[in-house]
Amino acid sequence: MAISKEIYSVLETIVGTEYISDDPVICEAYRSGPGGYENGLGYERVMTTIPGCVIMPRTTEEVQKIVRVCYRNDVPYVPYSTGFYGPRSHPHVEEALLIDLKRMNDFVLDEKHFYVEVGPGMVYSPIQQECMDHGAYVVIGGGGAQASAIANLIGDGWSPLSHRIGLPHRRILGTELVLPDGELIKTGSLATSDDPFWGESPGPDLRGLLRGYTGVRGCLGIVTRMAIKTLPFQPERLEPTGISPNTALALPEKRIKWINFVVPSKEAQVKAMKEIGHAEIGGAVTKVPLFWRAIAKAEDKEHFWEMWGQENEETIANFFIVRVLLIGYTSEEQMEYDERVLMDIMKEVGGEARRTKPSDESWIKNADSAGMWLMCGGYVSVDYVIETLSQATEHGPAYAELKKKYTPPLMPDYGDPGWFQSFELGHQGYSEFLVYWDQDDDTDKVDQFYVDTSKMNIKHRFYTSLLGPHQPLYLTGPKYGPNYHHYMLKVKNEFDPKWMSHPPVPLAHDVFVERAPWMHNMKDWESPEDLPK
Amino acid sequence: MDVKAKLAKIVGPKNFSDDPAQLKAYSQDFSYTPAGMPNCVVKPANSEEVSAVVKFCSENSIPVVPVSSKIHFYGATIPKEGGVILDMTRMNKILEIDPENRRVRFEAGVTWDKLTKDLEKKGYRVIMPLTPPAERSVLTDFMEREEPTNQVYDYGEPLEAMEVVWPTGEIFRMGSASVNGYPDSMSKGGNPSGPGLDFYRFFQCAQGTMGIVTWTNLKMESIPIKDKVLFAPLEDIGYGIDFLYRILPRRIGQEVLLLNNLDLAAILAEKWPDDFDRLYTTLPTWTLILVVSGLLRRPEEKIAYEEHFLADVIKNEFPDLQLGENLPGFPGLRKKILPILRRPWPAKAPYWKNAVKGACQSLFFHTRPMLVPQFITGVEEIAAQYGYPIGEIGMYIQPIEHNRACRVEFNFFYDPADEEEIAVVRALYNEAAAEFLNDGAIFTRPYGELASIVYEKAAAYARTLKRLKKTFDPNNIMNPGNLCF
Repeated sequence: MAISKEIYSVLETIVGTEYISDDPVICEAYRSGPGGYENGLGYERVMTTIPGCVIMPRTTEEVQKIVRVCYRNDVPYVPYSTGFYGPRSHPHVEEALLIDLKRMNDFVLDEKHFYVEVGPGMVYSPIQQECMDHGAYVVIGGGGAQASAIANLIGDGWSPLSHRIGLPHRRILGTELVLPDGELIKTGSLATSDDPFWGESPGPDLRGLLRGYTGVRGCLGIVTRMAIKTLPFQPERLEPTGISPNTALALPEKRIKWINFVVPSKEAQVKAMKEIGHAEIGGAVTKVPLFWRAIAKAEDKEHFWEMWGQENEETIANFFIVRVLLIGYTSEEQMEYDERVLMDIMKEVGGEARRTKPSDESWIKNADSAGMWLMCGGYVSVDYVIETLSQATEHGPAYAELKKKYTPPLMPDYGDPGWFQSFELGHQGYSEFLVYWDQDDDTDKVDQFYVDTSKMNIKHRFYTSLLGPHQPLYLTGPKYGPNYHHYMLKVKNEFDPKWMSHPPVPLAHDVFVERAPWMHNMKDWESPEDLPK
Repeated sequence: MDVKAKLAKIVGPKNFSDDPAQLKAYSQDFSYTPAGMPNCVVKPANSEEVSAVVKFCSENSIPVVPVSSKIHFYGATIPKEGGVILDMTRMNKILEIDPENRRVRFEAGVTWDKLTKDLEKKGYRVIMPLTPPAERSVLTDFMEREEPTNQVYDYGEPLEAMEVVWPTGEIFRMGSASVNGYPDSMSKGGNPSGPGLDFYRFFQCAQGTMGIVTWTNLKMESIPIKDKVLFAPLEDIGYGIDFLYRILPRRIGQEVLLLNNLDLAAILAEKWPDDFDRLYTTLPTWTLILVVSGLLRRPEEKIAYEEHFLADVIKNEFPDLQLGENLPGFPGLRKKILPILRRPWPAKAPYWKNAVKGACQSLFFHTRPMLVPQFITGVEEIAAQYGYPIGEIGMYIQPIEHNRACRVEFNFFYDPADEEEIAVVRALYNEAAAEFLNDGAIFTRPYGELASIVYEKAAAYARTLKRLKKTFDPNNIMNPGNLCF
């Protein structure tokens, strides 16, 4: 249903004339693409549209009022903060109200109790700087430092710095959530007080509604306030250097440094990661794919291809680097202890330290994923999963094998098996697999590849990030849990019986497969007749 | 087929009972919660039997009360509306020990005694709360979010992927154990989150009202090679807490906790009442216990850097703190305390909380450490109003996650045969809980009467919980009468 003049007028009363618009020019600015995550793929073309209206609330109360108006009048709406998630962050149905949360950018830092309290419009960059100025740091996820911290925490939220605390869910403290019908619930210590310092709630923990392993893209409500744990850091200043875009943080090497080690084999890589975790040292431990090195060194697209063109399957298959971040959390003496332990481990696995820049270009500073678009223009992390190092180290090769079938249009990467690393001191392993394509090519096979990865994960019994709304729910649902989709849809139907909050999520990918003719031959699973069309 | 016959058929006649003598054991626990009799008890051997029992009960609207061990302090397993006790003690298998991923998978009936002994044989341990009773379920303690005394790990929560039986009887695996065919799979169960939603969160602190957890994966850690136990006597708790604000963000120590003289005396006493009386009167008002440990690699060097850091901080910032390997006047304490912190409370000895007067009511909550002195003053004032001796309140402060927060526990000891004393403790407990709630204390485990106090304040939260519960347990069969259900 279109947003009528009457409804527009009511919404305008809530936020003021300046913060609502149905001007087509303004709405066009919220179109998914032309760049960004998953850009140019079928999902974007088939499933996204511009909003019918955009509104920018300032407070939780305004969000509640807006949502209630929408619910009463059957106006679908989409919460939106920084939009990193490309098409999945954008309206999927015509005449939706896009609720842009950027004005909700309050920020409080509690230095003594290691948390920040933010609104959904607050991005990571200033949070990280303020934290580091006060003895703490945060894990900036792959969305980058310009992503909303809240969106990141309820969506994904990890990086190599997750070596000490992997699951981002554990960093979520007191939180406010406006349910799809406008009801406000407060979780953690906010359930019974005005103090957000604690994450657990009285009895069963409704933080479970905020996300699964990955996010639910706002289909169960809008987070308007969240306290997020920070981690105690070391006391020395990390000095910004360079000229944009080639900036870095110079590291005080007695308290923090990266060391890259060349090791003889994948087995040595894995062994080193397990031993480092077991020894409880380090702030980050990750494999470095050869691909990253080319991206990091490239000044432009042509430069990348010049370097990348010199690689081949053999060089990819024989490149083994473990990159370790040491942090002197306690003292310089602790840092020296960690380094001695690290060198013991590397000696055991045959690793050799290479000269490593005394600076951080990415993970502490900004998790710069923008470089991922450099080579082709199109990019997606097709899977990014926290499990164990047992799974993490086998997951990438399975992806690489499947990818052969879809290259081109996927970028040739000589069988690169992706990236893995240690999380939670080696108790968990993380694997991520990236694919690239030129959005000017025919990308139908990229869409097919994406769904085929689900089938591969099911067949090989891998856990995956691509559950819930990220793949057809009726494809993955019966195979995980089993039947997790039944329970997820029960919850959705209880809290949003009219499906007004970001419809048709979590069934959007199911709908995409129905709508896109080139996806029909992929469909070998059952789904109900009454899927939203 | 009648109800009892059907249930007996599911679990086998030997594992079913409606003998009143046997049922009586489930009708009460160590709390003053009023007794409540079940109609029968079943002891399933596996998830399939749990599923069949729950499915049958759901279809027939029969209450189900899951019980995983023999030791209960809060009344949560006492039937409020009769029904079936689902006793999980037969499901006591350690299913996997996976050193590669430092993970152990075990069933709900596995006790602290069994798990710690089996892991110790292989050089591992799990971080543990203070003195868990040997016969208590490990899984339950972690599901109910007991706070470990070891808080150095940033990740805090050690639980990983688990299996549950929903209130309608379906078996469901969560997190990365949800893959088809688990555990015969690439995925090993290291991630509790998902699939779809973080369903496992709904089972935490649920007191069995959301379904039944049948097994879980849990992180395990190596046993340190070398330990040094340090003590500091404290008269001013605020001074000790300031010290913890200074050192814990620097990731110092493994176990760390603060106990008052009464709690520590009760934990240490061997010969009652002589030992207890002597310790109670001679121990300092508060004792800080801090264990620094050398791990698998270069253990001496690790202990050394921690000790050097501590020495610097004490010399320059906390000159009045007497942190050392001996608590003055108590030789040999360091050798005694480490096994107490690393092993469960032995089954053959009365639990220390019950040894003082026969029973104990514990009031515990989370707060910012800086507010602890205020709550201590508060509890003393309220206790005085009720004529409960201030010196007879046990106190335990558990710093959490680099001292970002802490768990405060006030123990009120009483004679379970003295109805008058029970009435005093009950009134005192309820008033203190209500007042502290208004002062910002965070109660995440509202047992018994505390539930109505807490959910009255968290009305919107309770409303949402009820909506959620309805989606999973439409007949409200799972442990009804607890929390807000």
